[in-house]
Amino acid sequence: MSVAAAVAVEALSLTLGAFRLNKLDFKLGRGEILVILGPNGAGKSVTLETIAGFHRPDSGRVLLGGRDVTALPPEQRRVGFVVQNFGLFPHLNVVQNVAIARRAGRAAIAHDAGLPQHGDPEALLSYFGIAHLAHRAPAGLSAGEKQRVALARALASAPDLFLFDEPFSALDAETRDQLREELKSFLHALAIPAIFVTHDHDDAVALADTIVVLRDGAIVQSGAAAAIFGKPANSFVARFVGVENILPGQVVAQSDGCFTLAVGERTLRAISSPNVGSSGASVLLAIRAEDVALSSAHVAAEPPGAVNRLQGHVIGSRTIGPLVMVQIDCGFALKAYLLAPQWQAMKLGQDATVVAEIAPDAIHLMTE
Amino acid sequence: MTDGTASRVAPIRGPRPARAAPSRPGTLYLLCWFCGSVLLAFLVIPLIALAAHQSAQNLGEVAGMADVRAAIALSLEGAFLSATLAALAGVPLAYVLARTTFPGKGVIAALIDLPLAVPHTVAGIALLMVFGRQGVFGEPLQALVGLKFWGTLAGIVVAMLFVSAPYTVNAARIGFEAVDPRLEQIARTLGLGPWRTFLRITLPLVWHSIMTGVTLTYARSISEFGAVVILVYYPMTAPVKIYELFLSFGLEQAAAAALLLLIVSLGLFVLLRALAQRGVPAPGGR
Repeated sequence: MSVAAAVAVEALSLTLGAFRLNKLDFKLGRGEILVILGPNGAGKSVTLETIAGFHRPDSGRVLLGGRDVTALPPEQRRVGFVVQNFGLFPHLNVVQNVAIARRAGRAAIAHDAGLPQHGDPEALLSYFGIAHLAHRAPAGLSAGEKQRVALARALASAPDLFLFDEPFSALDAETRDQLREELKSFLHALAIPAIFVTHDHDDAVALADTIVVLRDGAIVQSGAAAAIFGKPANSFVARFVGVENILPGQVVAQSDGCFTLAVGERTLRAISSPNVGSSGASVLLAIRAEDVALSSAHVAAEPPGAVNRLQGHVIGSRTIGPLVMVQIDCGFALKAYLLAPQWQAMKLGQDATVVAEIAPDAIHLMTE
Repeated sequence: MTDGTASRVAPIRGPRPARAAPSRPGTLYLLCWFCGSVLLAFLVIPLIALAAHQSAQNLGEVAGMADVRAAIALSLEGAFLSATLAALAGVPLAYVLARTTFPGKGVIAALIDLPLAVPHTVAGIALLMVFGRQGVFGEPLQALVGLKFWGTLAGIVVAMLFVSAPYTVNAARIGFEAVDPRLEQIARTLGLGPWRTFLRITLPLVWHSIMTGVTLTYARSISEFGAVVILVYYPMTAPVKIYELFLSFGLEQAAAAALLLLIVSLGLFVLLRALAQRGVPAPGGR
């Protein structure tokens, strides 16, 4: 029995036609945000729907705030559900959207976040700063306003858990950034645990305390966000959390977590904790583009004892917001991030010779 | 911003020239209006001819005939009952068809449309075999509860319902299919049970579609002649009465009765359309 966990999903299995959820296991503490990350068809939405009570699992349990809700219908589970485009009821105005939960006979929680008591819809709107929208139709609201209405509405049913099913997937990048930040601060203030489903690793970076990576209905890796981003278990996770460089290599020598690796014609050194096998083993190297330091060849005098210095030439560059992703060929293709002004100052064009440098502890090794 | 090597993503659309070439959609709309006007004229001119043919005196005379008034009232009553039955049974059927999948669903959908394709005299004969004196339902229903379908309002309603129910089922099904199931799921998580969710969320969102279907069913019921005349000749509905007037007294009286029916029907449809609009908030309205 997990006393500490506010929400626990235990060995949850479900068969839905040809699709299967396979023994999902995860826990959330009070106020924690868990992001379920996975490609389309991985079973993310089905997982949320099962937690909300729309599918009856074959086995396993869902515990919310100490209650076993596995056998309860959705209306008795007390989860707040927020979907793509926020799912406001189009035939009701803002305050009616919020009040519909109250009319279901619930009293809202009064958390220590200065929340109104008794689920008063007007007071909930005030809490989210949208009291002036009370009599507006949902169709005319901005995305930010819709998110606040959706949160107020979900909150009116006194949830023990928030479920978010890709609420931002139809929004432009700028709005998405803004709404993520806003959502995060609301969730922290409310201290209600939340499960957020997405295929966008930017969502995970911005929101996640914990990440569960899902593939074909099963958990590939789960853990603290930093661990998943820094030490992906395999190339699937690495690609999914946005690792730009995944290179095949071979272990040449290994001692105490210090690896000497052959990548194409080059030799790299890496410090990596997972035991990925001894000499001769095939491995994959995960290197984030921001961990590749580029300098122009003529200023890069060889310092003594330098490791992982690779000479190559520029094969392309692409501006991404304030960053430039530079692609170089140093025997193998390598991507590096630079700040745009730095890149401009280097005055390098196509085919220019550059030196890339990678710290040994920035290379993460994986077996598959 | 960046030097030549950086392939910067170009904006997808350049700034639009102010008031750019409105002539293109203009021509399109003009053509559409032209084609539409031909159809509109085709639909309206016969009705105008019908009206123009009548003197007020003629119309008043027909309106004064008790049997004509009774026939129109009977038509309206029968159509009202058949539209009500179509809504009560057809809306649940539409919901099931829209929200579930089961083997044979396609066959059921095709069967629903079948009455629209069958000549209505054929429909009348088929109904006679089921609801007639020796029919599979007709005989036991009379024996057990005394419900007769020949020469009664019940028979008129059965005939009207058979040919017009598909309109309600189809319109409602399209309506239900357009409601995002996610909205219903959200309502459930907010504490509304399945019934409340249906009544508070789903039904208001399909109200307009249902009323459109019911209006069509109502209209089709009023206009039904073939099936009604075969299953139930008496008491006469308006189309049957108009036909009888045409046979016995000629065009003049028949046309006057027809115009009377037309005026009454038109008023009702305007009313029904107004009713269908209710419950639908104006987009962006307050």
